[in-house]
Amino acid sequence: MTDVLAQLATGRELAVAAGRADLAARLERAETTLRTGADIAVAVVGEFKQGKSSLVNALLRTDLCPVDADVVTALPTIVRFGRPPAAFLIADNDKRDAIEFSEAAKHITEIDAEPAARAVEVRLDRRLLGAGLAVIDTPGVGGLESAQGNLTMATLTLAGAALFVTDAAQELTAPEVDFLRRTLQRCPRTAVVLTKTDLHAEWRRIAAINEGHLRAAGLDVPVVPVSSFLRLRAQVRDDTALNEESGFPRLVDWLRCDLLETVAAERVAAARAELSFVTAQLRERLDAQRAAAVDPGTAVAAYAEKARRGARLETGTWQTVLGDGIQDLAADVDHDLRERLRLMINQGEALLAASDPRDTWRDFQAWAAREASRAAADNLMLLVNRAEQLAGEVARRFGMEAHDLSATLPPAVPALHKARDFELDFQQSGLQQFLGAFSAARVAYGGFFLLGGVGALVGVAWAAPLGLLAGVAFGRRLVRAEKERQVQQRRHQAGQELRRYVDEVGFHVGRDSREAVRRTQRHLRDEFAERARELSRSAASASAAVREVAALPEHQRRSLLGRLEA
Amino acid sequence: MTLLSRTRELLDQAVGATGDPRLVRARHRLDEPLRVAIAGKLKAGKSTLLNALIGEGVAPTDAGECTRLVTWYADGPGYMAMCHLRDGRAEDRPFVRRDGALRIDLGHPIDDVDRLTVRVPSARLRRHTLIDTPGIESLSTEVSARASTVHGGADAVVYLLRHLHGGDVRFLETFQGGVGTPVNVVGVLSRADEIGGCRLDAMTAAARVAARYTSDERLRRLCPVVVPVAGLLGAAGATLREDEYRALAQVAALPMDDIVELLLTADRFAAIDDRRRLLGRLGLFGVRLSARLIREGEVTDAAGLATALTSHSGISSLRAVLATHIEGRADVLKARTALAALDDCLPPGSPLIAAAERIRAGAHEFVELRLLHDLRSGRLGVADDRRGELDLLLGGAGGSPRDRLGLPSSAPPEEIADAARAAQARWQRLAEHPLSSRDVRAAARAAARTCEGILAG
Repeated sequence: MTDVLAQLATGRELAVAAGRADLAARLERAETTLRTGADIAVAVVGEFKQGKSSLVNALLRTDLCPVDADVVTALPTIVRFGRPPAAFLIADNDKRDAIEFSEAAKHITEIDAEPAARAVEVRLDRRLLGAGLAVIDTPGVGGLESAQGNLTMATLTLAGAALFVTDAAQELTAPEVDFLRRTLQRCPRTAVVLTKTDLHAEWRRIAAINEGHLRAAGLDVPVVPVSSFLRLRAQVRDDTALNEESGFPRLVDWLRCDLLETVAAERVAAARAELSFVTAQLRERLDAQRAAAVDPGTAVAAYAEKARRGARLETGTWQTVLGDGIQDLAADVDHDLRERLRLMINQGEALLAASDPRDTWRDFQAWAAREASRAAADNLMLLVNRAEQLAGEVARRFGMEAHDLSATLPPAVPALHKARDFELDFQQSGLQQFLGAFSAARVAYGGFFLLGGVGALVGVAWAAPLGLLAGVAFGRRLVRAEKERQVQQRRHQAGQELRRYVDEVGFHVGRDSREAVRRTQRHLRDEFAERARELSRSAASASAAVREVAALPEHQRRSLLGRLEA
Repeated sequence: MTLLSRTRELLDQAVGATGDPRLVRARHRLDEPLRVAIAGKLKAGKSTLLNALIGEGVAPTDAGECTRLVTWYADGPGYMAMCHLRDGRAEDRPFVRRDGALRIDLGHPIDDVDRLTVRVPSARLRRHTLIDTPGIESLSTEVSARASTVHGGADAVVYLLRHLHGGDVRFLETFQGGVGTPVNVVGVLSRADEIGGCRLDAMTAAARVAARYTSDERLRRLCPVVVPVAGLLGAAGATLREDEYRALAQVAALPMDDIVELLLTADRFAAIDDRRRLLGRLGLFGVRLSARLIREGEVTDAAGLATALTSHSGISSLRAVLATHIEGRADVLKARTALAALDDCLPPGSPLIAAAERIRAGAHEFVELRLLHDLRSGRLGVADDRRGELDLLLGGAGGSPRDRLGLPSSAPPEEIADAARAAQARWQRLAEHPLSSRDVRAAARAAARTCEGILAG
């Protein structure tokens, strides 16, 4: 990383010397991103009571996350680096309220808090966190196949990595493997953590069985067995051997090497791509001068043509690709959501028709919340995938056009110059380099909890049960007919409530996703327009240089060529 | 004439009239013990619990998924294994016993086998036949499917939960859709010794969790009682051997610090092969508990330890719950299954069907069962303070007069009579009260009738 930073600094000096403040600023931004880089979020997920909170505690050597035989985590807990330790409650509108550090545990387990918070954020002073990790303990409430489980899934779409927790008491179950499969689609960097190895002598076999199940399911995930209990005990006794026995060193190793270092390497590659982008432009002026010194006639015309094309780049066809793409994307995402919600209404009505809502209302509520959050999570996944795809398409088109600028230039003569010492070449790395910059595009979709809007169905006041009067006034047959009518009435009422709920979900999720689409569009447009401006300015400056050189008398041109090739 | 004998008579008539083999089977079933299925997610501890209930390690258990076929355990003159094939044939199969467990040589591809029947000479199995089932939510879908189709053959279900998962609720719901009602399901919080990290207070924590499940309205509709049970402890208590006690006593005789180190993790204790087996039999909690009991001098021999393990396991309270909730209702549950078979096999409108309907409508046991069902599923709008009383009175916690009136088992007959009279008057008033809804009045009449039965009995 240090050599890239040095190269960035050199590149910046060159850019400043060439009077290109815009390119210098670009390199400066690249340097800042590389130096400070956003935290990589690691989500700890899994069925409840598998030891997720214990794992977070043991990993970070703290007793922050409440662990109990019965009580489960109710709020997501984000642990990131901070000194001194602090705790915040994140409200629905993303507002942060500082809370007492010692109170954090209480908030994490409180299910019916008023007003409802979205998450608890805790800052801790730990080396692992300082290295750029943020650990998220997800709620176990309701299990994997619940509304909460689906929201966790949505979180994963935006996380950098996931730890899937399952305990050594038994092998993986079908719902767990299903959840894991969906996890991997959203978050390819995932490890399975087998917890509670201290309690079960057969954990090695369970680990082997699990590895077999994963292979059979075609999932390529490492299985890391750990004992949170031993790790915490090792900490108390300051016992390295015990820590080794706990299996945590391997997990920390995975986080450091497989995760942090890979991400760091990706960031370095992105910085290098920026560097080569800038270098190529800085070199262009020199190339142009040399071409003019060799053959002023062709060079003037060729570079003038390039400058003309460069000026058009900002409004080039990539804009059309972006505009059309965004429209398609918005329409598809919207249609996808509508389709999911329509299906949900159909299924819901079928369920209602098969039962008396008065008896099944609670189950029905749980079902509705689960389906709605699943629809929202899957819709978000579609949005993210499509946006990344679109970013790729725009980048490809932009790359093609940028390459076309030089189509009329004479072939470059190999030569040496300081600016060429950087081995990367804009023309060669061509199309790929824009793509690198957009792996970070996920950031554009806002925080971890996009899906705030999915509330719950509210209670419905059922029509009064058949009371005194009816009992007195009606005969038996009439009573039965009346009962049937009331069930119908309740079904109707429940159906209306379902439609209202789905409407509301559609409104909130739709608004969030439209917002995300707009953000994506703005992000992509600004990004490429700026590059277009820079390229255009480089082309104009090269063209001016060519004209200058061409205007020189013959002998001066020759001496210039001599200087350039020195 | 009792309900069961009336049902028998009716089925005899039906068999005579039709000769339908299904009815013949239903008729036989009336004279057999009640069939209780043990169900739950995979690795919930079903086979272990079955061993603990029988008091003998007959069902094979393993760390990985183990039970892949539905297996009936019934009383018999000797140990026998029979394989029922899908094409209807049944044949005796050879088996070997390894550590007590029966490993049966199937002799057929597993997909051709419908179920196994194992005969074990056991007084406990004379009271009910136990059906061991494969786990639901198993990764091998065929196993999971086999599990969810078997419960049609059972009169009652013991459902094992480790923690309440979505899959459990779904299973209980589908079971309710078939033969199940909240009156014949008993919930077990299984592997209770592992709750909260196998610490010595595990059973207390488990009792807390079970109490919470029992008070959960949604779950209460599906299974009204949840008993915490450590099946491993129960099975070990029933089969503890002298040499196992000696091995545990050796551990308990070590200095305290060494014991703590040794019992810190399962791995450390299992370092020696003999101990590894012991750990497999008792679990980490069982070993820790035994070491403490021996060390503190609370038990001094194998028999004492076996008793202590059994009492800690919660298996006795499960037996008590089974006795009141399931066996106490055996007659009416069996009659119900038989009458349902009649409905399935005869054309509607036949006089035998009408007779079955008469039994159902007339027998007070059926009325009670139906009301209990409505009450527990929340369909009967009774005020909360009366709900508990009505549940008891309808036989929700046992069929004896003392159980029904909520009196201690030491209550003298006069006290029972007084309480029954008071209850009868109370429910009679409610039955005649003009503001009571129609359903409640019907329920109150039935409750008063139950009180009359107690007074007459």
